[in-house]
Amino acid sequence: MPRIRASLVLLAILAAAPLLTGASRTDTLTVSATVSARAKLQLSSLSMSFADADPDTTPSVPASGGPLTIQAKGRTTIGSTVTLVMLATGDLQSGLDVIPADRLSWTATGAGFVGGTVSTAMAQAVGSWANSGSWTGTQSYQFANAWNYSTGTYTTTLTYTLTAP
Amino acid sequence: MMDQRPAPGSRRALADDTCCQEPAARVPLSLALLLVALMALPASARAQGITFSITEASISFADADPDTTPSLTASSNVTLNYRVTGNGGGNWQITVISGTDLTSGTATIPISNVTWTAAPVPPFQAGTMSTSVPQTVASGSGNANSTTGTMVFRLINSWSYNVGNYNATFTFTMTAP
Repeated sequence: MPRIRASLVLLAILAAAPLLTGASRTDTLTVSATVSARAKLQLSSLSMSFADADPDTTPSVPASGGPLTIQAKGRTTIGSTVTLVMLATGDLQSGLDVIPADRLSWTATGAGFVGGTVSTAMAQAVGSWANSGSWTGTQSYQFANAWNYSTGTYTTTLTYTLTAP
Repeated sequence: MMDQRPAPGSRRALADDTCCQEPAARVPLSLALLLVALMALPASARAQGITFSITEASISFADADPDTTPSLTASSNVTLNYRVTGNGGGNWQITVISGTDLTSGTATIPISNVTWTAAPVPPFQAGTMSTSVPQTVASGSGNANSTTGTMVFRLINSWSYNVGNYNATFTFTMTAP
């Protein structure tokens, strides 16, 4: 008899349970996202020029187009550094006449951006940043004026390289 | 005056003795009656039932340029299948919560950057993922018979995300209080 009674009690509890308590069900969803390394560099202008000026009154000629705005964006692994460097492919040349590229220098604004002097031998740091992100800064170029430059229209190319390892 | 008490060993005395000496015999009877009464209730009134499942086991967000794709859409929609019975006029609710932010080693993407839209509206509603508070996906009252809803998850894309393969687990819960 006690066994039968216990069974009936259990059945009664089971039967009444839905009336006494709420119900719930759960399920799960696995979510993944892939973030790959990438870098993007945008310059406000693809050319700049320096006007002729009297070396005595204008020993340093600013770029006529004003500051160059740079937007650097990079995705890298956590703890790594995104770097932006610049290298001149050659000195300023006009026919056979040459003005050394290091007569070009710049000052910078913006977090992570640094000033420097143009080089044809070694890429010069323009900016560096820890981890991924997007950064905007400016470069204001100056051309060191001198009486010993031969007349001519001089050109060179500056190559910027943004790296997000 | 005659003594009305039955003589020991008579049938009545036997019955009373049975009653008083074995009270357990009446307890099972009452329990049995309760059980019969409970079982006799209509199924809809007796059993509050929930059926709930998600068709997809996983979704993913592919890598893309944040400038051209500022919002990433998950690889597939998420289909929720649910059924509520015996709920009377009671409320029901489906919620979702993430166990963690999207995580890749020590790198994380805030789970609040994951949002969703859902249909049909109502009972479904749009929302933003959380790791701390279950977010309502759908809610209603009464019963719901073999119903489905669809969720589309999106992830805000950003240059600030560090490289990695990120994961998180979303837990959906359907309740009918």
